[in-house]
Amino acid sequence: MNDDTQGIDRRRFLTVLGVAGAGTAALSGCSTGKVEKLIPYLVQDEDQVPGIPTWYASTCTECPAGCGLHVKTREARAIKLEGNPDHPVNAGTLCHRGQAGLQGLYNPGRTRAPMVREGNARKDVSWDDAIGRLVQKLAGASGKVAVISGAGPGTFSDLLAGWTTALAGKLVRYEAFDRAPERAANKQVFGLDELPVYDFAQARHIVSFGADFLETWGPVVEQQRGFAKAHGFDGTGMAKLVYAGPRMNLTGMNADEWHPLVAGTEAALALGMANVILSERTSAPADAGALAAGLAAWTPEKVAQTTGMTTEAVRKLAREFVSASPSLAVAGGVGAQHRGAITVAAAVNLLNYVAGNVGKTVRFGAGIPTSDGYGAMEDLITAMNAGQISVLLVHDCNPAYSLPKSAGFAAAMAKVPFKVSTSLFLDETAAACDLLLPNHHALERWDDVAPRAGVRGLMQPVMTPVFKTMHTGDVLLKTSQKAGGPLAQFNAPSFEAHLKQKWAGLSKGSDAAQFWRDALVKGGIYDAAPAAPSVKLAAGASGLTWAAPAFDGPGEFVFLPVPSSMYHDGRGANRPWLLENPDPVTKITWGSWIELHPDTARRLDIRDGEVLRLKSPYGEVAAPAYVYPGVRPDVVAMGLGLGHTEYGEYARGLGANALDLLGSKDGDGFLPYVSVKVEVEKTREYHQLARTDGNPRQLGRHIADAMPLAHAAKGYTVEESLKQVGEEEHEANTEREQEALGGFREKQVEKQKFGAYAEEHPRWGMAIDLAKCTGCASCVTACYSENNIPWVGYDNVIRGREMSWMRIERYWEGGTEPGEPFGARVIPMLCQHCENAPCEPVCPVYASYHTADGLNGQVYNRCVGTRYCSNNCPYKVRYFNWFAFAKRAFAEPFNLQLNPDVTVRSRGVMEKCTFCVQRIRGAQHQARMDDRPLKDGDVVTACQQACPSGAIVFGNVNDPESRVVKAKQDHRGYHVLEETNVRSSITYLAKVQA
Amino acid sequence: MRKLLGIGVIAGAIAVGALVPALRRSGAQQKPAVDSVTAPRLAVGDSSNLKGPRQPIFFRHDIHAGQLKMQCQYCHYTVNRATEPGIPSVETCMGCHLVVGGTDSTHKAEIKKLRQYWADRADPAKPKLEWTRIHTLARYAHFPHMRHIKAMGPNACQTCHGDVARMPQVFKVNNVNNMGFCVSCHIARKVTRDCTACHY
Repeated sequence: MNDDTQGIDRRRFLTVLGVAGAGTAALSGCSTGKVEKLIPYLVQDEDQVPGIPTWYASTCTECPAGCGLHVKTREARAIKLEGNPDHPVNAGTLCHRGQAGLQGLYNPGRTRAPMVREGNARKDVSWDDAIGRLVQKLAGASGKVAVISGAGPGTFSDLLAGWTTALAGKLVRYEAFDRAPERAANKQVFGLDELPVYDFAQARHIVSFGADFLETWGPVVEQQRGFAKAHGFDGTGMAKLVYAGPRMNLTGMNADEWHPLVAGTEAALALGMANVILSERTSAPADAGALAAGLAAWTPEKVAQTTGMTTEAVRKLAREFVSASPSLAVAGGVGAQHRGAITVAAAVNLLNYVAGNVGKTVRFGAGIPTSDGYGAMEDLITAMNAGQISVLLVHDCNPAYSLPKSAGFAAAMAKVPFKVSTSLFLDETAAACDLLLPNHHALERWDDVAPRAGVRGLMQPVMTPVFKTMHTGDVLLKTSQKAGGPLAQFNAPSFEAHLKQKWAGLSKGSDAAQFWRDALVKGGIYDAAPAAPSVKLAAGASGLTWAAPAFDGPGEFVFLPVPSSMYHDGRGANRPWLLENPDPVTKITWGSWIELHPDTARRLDIRDGEVLRLKSPYGEVAAPAYVYPGVRPDVVAMGLGLGHTEYGEYARGLGANALDLLGSKDGDGFLPYVSVKVEVEKTREYHQLARTDGNPRQLGRHIADAMPLAHAAKGYTVEESLKQVGEEEHEANTEREQEALGGFREKQVEKQKFGAYAEEHPRWGMAIDLAKCTGCASCVTACYSENNIPWVGYDNVIRGREMSWMRIERYWEGGTEPGEPFGARVIPMLCQHCENAPCEPVCPVYASYHTADGLNGQVYNRCVGTRYCSNNCPYKVRYFNWFAFAKRAFAEPFNLQLNPDVTVRSRGVMEKCTFCVQRIRGAQHQARMDDRPLKDGDVVTACQQACPSGAIVFGNVNDPESRVVKAKQDHRGYHVLEETNVRSSITYLAKVQA
Repeated sequence: MRKLLGIGVIAGAIAVGALVPALRRSGAQQKPAVDSVTAPRLAVGDSSNLKGPRQPIFFRHDIHAGQLKMQCQYCHYTVNRATEPGIPSVETCMGCHLVVGGTDSTHKAEIKKLRQYWADRADPAKPKLEWTRIHTLARYAHFPHMRHIKAMGPNACQTCHGDVARMPQVFKVNNVNNMGFCVSCHIARKVTRDCTACHY
């Protein structure tokens, strides 16, 4: 303000302001001084009660697994996604990608209305206009239409297939992370062109040949649940997991043994194991004898030579595998999809067969959906290049990104005169299209999906569409009605009516309307899985030959693209929850990195963060280096899913696209991801990695403790176990310290005699079983979603300002000396709600205090931001809100996802895990309204709800019958940093190593 | 209370014209919320002389809750089961005012405004009814209405909101956004004073 021109000095200005401020406050009578409006509904929605969440059953579409959802809506907007407990695939839990579906719904990068391209610009048009344009282009295009669809099998896919057929068009059902090699192998070995279901829960010994079954391969939530059941310690024993592959991924981190095989040699190990089993054991299936001759060449010596293992390890592995019955071997995944991928899967089929696992842990006849594979896409690219396609419709997939540049999709697409996209987002494919017909999000539309035989998940609109989008099913029907001709057969008035009509056909004679309502409530129909067919070896099984897969290029290192557990095939890259949730292995956020073995790094003089350029015959990619002992010295690895050129503001330009390095030829019907060798070139530039791990080693702090199975089975405590292995004693307090602490403890407990503390209260506590926790970080996203935690972005993560109230700490074990096995431990870290909380006495304003029910409370409106509490917290679980992070994180339309039960914290406030106090209070309210006491299981924290492993138990410690008390009594229980005498409310149960 | 509400809803559904006597009857079965008051005749122009912010429709709580003895929960229908009391939808108003057109010109004029909002309901471009909020709680405090109704009975509204049944135009009697106001009551009634009872 300029004093001269305004004619008012500063003092006068402040006086006026003060009077005006007071006046406003007095007039409105409201301390905020802001006039707020109350806008009533015009017509009250029957389902919506203000203040009470309404839940809808739906189905997740973030990957082909087809998990069931319960969608929490408040005031007619979806605010949280949880698993549907009735659903056979996910049984009530959900992975982080599924939960982040909500950020797809509210993503600011969504295409908000139909658009046409005019020159280089796009312009909004009306839906009538848009559909009219499509009809016009389809008019003369019969036989020259192509459709690429990523939609799972279901009513929509059937309609799309019929629609394409009516136009004499070509439909390619495409899924980037296709499991084509496994199907081919199943056909070769068993004569079954399908994918089985793997029963991890029953397996007593699991060997994974590169399959990342905890990350992207198969229905990960179901597999993780089964794995946690098998691999978790049940009081007597546990299954062992062995991971064989050139890089230790999250699945490898959870393995009890990791064998870093030479890239591409998994098949040799599987064949060698099968050979050992057949030669040492007579109880193998009768027809397995025919294999013996073919396998005899695979002696442990030859296997050891090929894979880089020792002969003894091969023998031991085979013997352990067969002696624990049933066992399970799995192979596949993008990270093991080299040119010999079919042979790997076939060899593993043989291994499962000779060990007698087929029919037990490997069950065929499950009806797992498959896509048409990369071979069909190659044909389409050829057709597009030949000018045989005049209209291309791309639905629910992004081939312009998810195919390597060398596949030539973009160039072929450019030759198609009219391209239409129904993508929700302006992704790379949509950006190249002439007409955008944005589909509804899965939470806004009627739809169904059949992820396996007997299971059909239903989707229903849980809210009014956020933008002016239209269901692609309706687009197809409207187009058909306008175009007529062969399309006139699709005459349903809407896709909803079409879907209901199809479902009436599923009701098998029962009342169709009732059947539909029941299905809507349950989220679909879940019939028992069909009986597994008896599986015999096919003729092709015995003729299995193996040759080392070829790698293109003269480079020194095999290039290993790593499917990202966060971004999947790249579709998660526009969701800040997934970008900020650290990679489970490297703990890197917001960006790409290139992994090198420490020996390689030392030899080439490369340090963390140095930008490297990888060069293959097909292209080059630059990203910062991350030195990782979990990758073979002759391999460099890089995550997939980033490096988008479109796909919204969060994805665009972030990281690098590893697919640029890949070739696409000679894959035998699939895309060979692991097929190039690269050269590593130093650029002398540095880019700081946004890592959230502090020191990656425990340094004797005993944060994530573990004990061998032998000790756990004997009922040893962690300390007893440590003594046994001769490790230096747990840093216990000396006798004198104990004495002093004893008095201190009493004093601390004394305060519980006063005031409200003396009354009877529940005391909330938690137990986390590290034998079950895999470190997948579903709980982290659940916490973000439940507690309105803002993401902070790259710039703030590198300054250590991330706000994740719950984090997964990952510590490396071993691997420092040659020959020493390398492994990792994970531990979820959140506020420990200490009874003697060090954060409480240092708060000058009592913002941090202890509640009578045992919570470490944090009162945001009291907090003045001294950060003393954070400085005094030994666990570093208090997070300071440095800027108004929420303003950016919940900018429109992300603000619609906010949980109204949780305060959105402003700048300058310390915040932390509250044990989901809003859920505790909500359960207490409900119990009071029902005139009953709170019972065990009434309060479920968000992290506990989401955990696919069921590792987290929460409840009232004062209730001796509660599950949490039972869990806390386990002999494996320990407290992190117990020697600090903070008396944490979270008991960790030590990991058990088989 | 639920029974009363049920009667009210059924009455509204069956015969809107018979609603007022039905409510009167139901009101007579239980101790009325407030003493019967006679609402003063007030023209629209008078509202600015009254305490409290002027509303888009001169809605007379003194007529509805006072003179007609309608239960608060007839309109604020979720107060006994949810954290939010519920603002009645325009449809709820129209349940009666489809038939009840008002007795004098000032009433008629206000009801006409309401009917206009209802008539325009399908047109997003038309103005929507926006009440000026009187009682606001800071976002970092949570007030579960149902717990308080449960503890203090269905007529406990006036403890915080004042004798709304006598207010031609609602104004703020107590500053509900003042923690002392909450805590003094919690002390007197010997109930929780834990911070995280409200602040989370």
